[in-house]
Amino acid sequence: MGTYQKLSVQERLQLTFEAQEFLYREAELLDARRLDDWLGLLAEDIHYWMPIRRTTQAKDVHLEFTKLGGMAFFDDDLTTLTLRVKRLSVGRAWAEDPPSRTRHLISNVRISDVDDDEITVMCNFQLYRTRLNSEEDSWIGRREDVLRRVDGELKLAKRHIYLEQTVILSQNLSSIF
Amino acid sequence: MPAAIITSDRTSVDLDACYNPSTGVLDRRIFTDRLVYEEELKRIFGRGWNFICHDSQIPDPGNFFVSFIGEDEVIAVRDRTDKVNILLNSCPHRGNTVCRAELGTTKSFMCSYHGWNFDLDGSLVAVPNEEAFYKGGLDKKDWGLESAAKVESYKGFYFATLDPDAPSLLDYLGWVGKLGIDMMLVDGPIRFLDGVHKNRLKCNWKFAVDNLYDWYHVKVSHGTAFKVGLVTEEAMAPNDQMVILGEYGHGIGGPGLTVERQAEFDQRQTTGEGESQWYDLQAGHRTDPATREMLGPIGHRSFGHPNIFPNLWVTHTRQMCLRIPRGPFETEIWWFNYLPVNLPAAQSKQSIFTHNHVFGPAGFLEQDDGENWSHSTRGARGTQSKNRPLNISMGLGQDAVSTDPSGQSGIETVVNEHGQRWTYQCWKEWMQADSWQDLMNNHSTPPQGSV
Ligand code: FES
Ligand SMILES: [Fe+2]
Repeated sequence: MGTYQKLSVQERLQLTFEAQEFLYREAELLDARRLDDWLGLLAEDIHYWMPIRRTTQAKDVHLEFTKLGGMAFFDDDLTTLTLRVKRLSVGRAWAEDPPSRTRHLISNVRISDVDDDEITVMCNFQLYRTRLNSEEDSWIGRREDVLRRVDGELKLAKRHIYLEQTVILSQNLSSIF
Repeated sequence: MPAAIITSDRTSVDLDACYNPSTGVLDRRIFTDRLVYEEELKRIFGRGWNFICHDSQIPDPGNFFVSFIGEDEVIAVRDRTDKVNILLNSCPHRGNTVCRAELGTTKSFMCSYHGWNFDLDGSLVAVPNEEAFYKGGLDKKDWGLESAAKVESYKGFYFATLDPDAPSLLDYLGWVGKLGIDMMLVDGPIRFLDGVHKNRLKCNWKFAVDNLYDWYHVKVSHGTAFKVGLVTEEAMAPNDQMVILGEYGHGIGGPGLTVERQAEFDQRQTTGEGESQWYDLQAGHRTDPATREMLGPIGHRSFGHPNIFPNLWVTHTRQMCLRIPRGPFETEIWWFNYLPVNLPAAQSKQSIFTHNHVFGPAGFLEQDDGENWSHSTRGARGTQSKNRPLNISMGLGQDAVSTDPSGQSGIETVVNEHGQRWTYQCWKEWMQADSWQDLMNNHSTPPQGSV
């Protein structure tokens, strides 16, 4: 039994509530295009990663996702995430100009592990995006996040994103998941 | 030779007039018409040599990788004799696909519909209840999976054609196609990495191909890359350009070193003095005499983008990209990534970082491309707009091809549209030809003298 399961209901409620509040607040910032504020939620050593997913035979499911350190749609640290945000403000970031309209729906939030200063929290998400007059994209998947307590505040220290698409059906991935 | 293709709106695209090489004016309907597209599948993808996969993607017997020739899905599979077979992924019984995975390992391909079972070379080896139901009436040797008409590899790159009359792969590639592939081998033998970035754009495949020669768009479409300091403006789209044109539509277009700049670089290498330049990174991969010999006297000064006609784009970030047609209005973009076999771990890590951050749908450069090509496609759909031709005249009549005694030739100039014009010129010839024989007899040889 993991540490989290050993906690009292009261303690689990409190942790889950804290994690949910963080994730909902974060989603609000992303959808409000407050990306500089969003950067403020990230730990210095954040790892933001989305592997490539493939259709495999049942016996080859170990090949379904590319591995850490290999090819990925996202394999970012604080520097590259900051560049992604910065590029939106320098002009000519055409994928986001005109800006997309996004809505992050976060659900099935559950904590899988906890230690002194870190909470591992899983959630399902839908990121819905529209662009221009009639472009519509929807990405559904699950996330594995690690929230760390730094000076009394939660920071996002890890985000691993597993999409339910193999061929990405959108023209780009210019949103933050 | 067809003079025209009757389009789905019952007008006709005159295959000779749709592109005018003396004015650089192009009929837009070739990007959107369903019937033009159907002819492309037959006359270009069905006839040409199509890149399928690299040797290192399927190293062991039973390994397979699924790819496309136009809209025909094919399985590349290594059999027990170590031969790579390219098989049509369609069961001859009712047409079902026999392989539903993108990649993996198998002993045979069993069709999920009625269970016909095919060996790794495509031969039909088992049919459920054959004796009881077919009673000897089925000759299995006639009903295997269809193979591509020809399969050949050039230095580990497997290509296939569906046309038995196609020339050999080497004749098809010619020196320009081979050079395009050799540019991937400047640091020695390579291995492909697990993981192909795939995504869909709402564009005609030709707009994607056109763009790889386009060094005009770089500073505008990808302006953020130098504005945030990922790369310098000059390194990103230098004014020194070289274009190399090859038979059957192959080409290489983009940055190139003049003889003087090359000499300056070489001098600096020997003395260790002088200021670093935008070309140091690329030129640094070509200091070895054997590499220069492989690329040739003009080729080794080109850092442009090769296109192996019709749809294989090679970059200098150790990546290459297939543009797979999905109807006139949709294209699937596949990014393959590779590393030199002997690259030290730290450099491999750096290279993978580049792979994951430059191209691909989330890439710092490529995320801004898709809408441009999609809207170019969309812009060719209106009743009025599709009848307005496009201008691809940049540099037309203003440059010259210089030929080296070795036989290599190139155009040294500034940003231009020679590569695009050559693509449409050759496209037109492919579309007009009725057979490989016809194409061999009636195609342009790359221009000499003034262009
Ligand atoms: S369709 Fe393949 S066995 Fe019938
Ligand atoms: Fe581009």
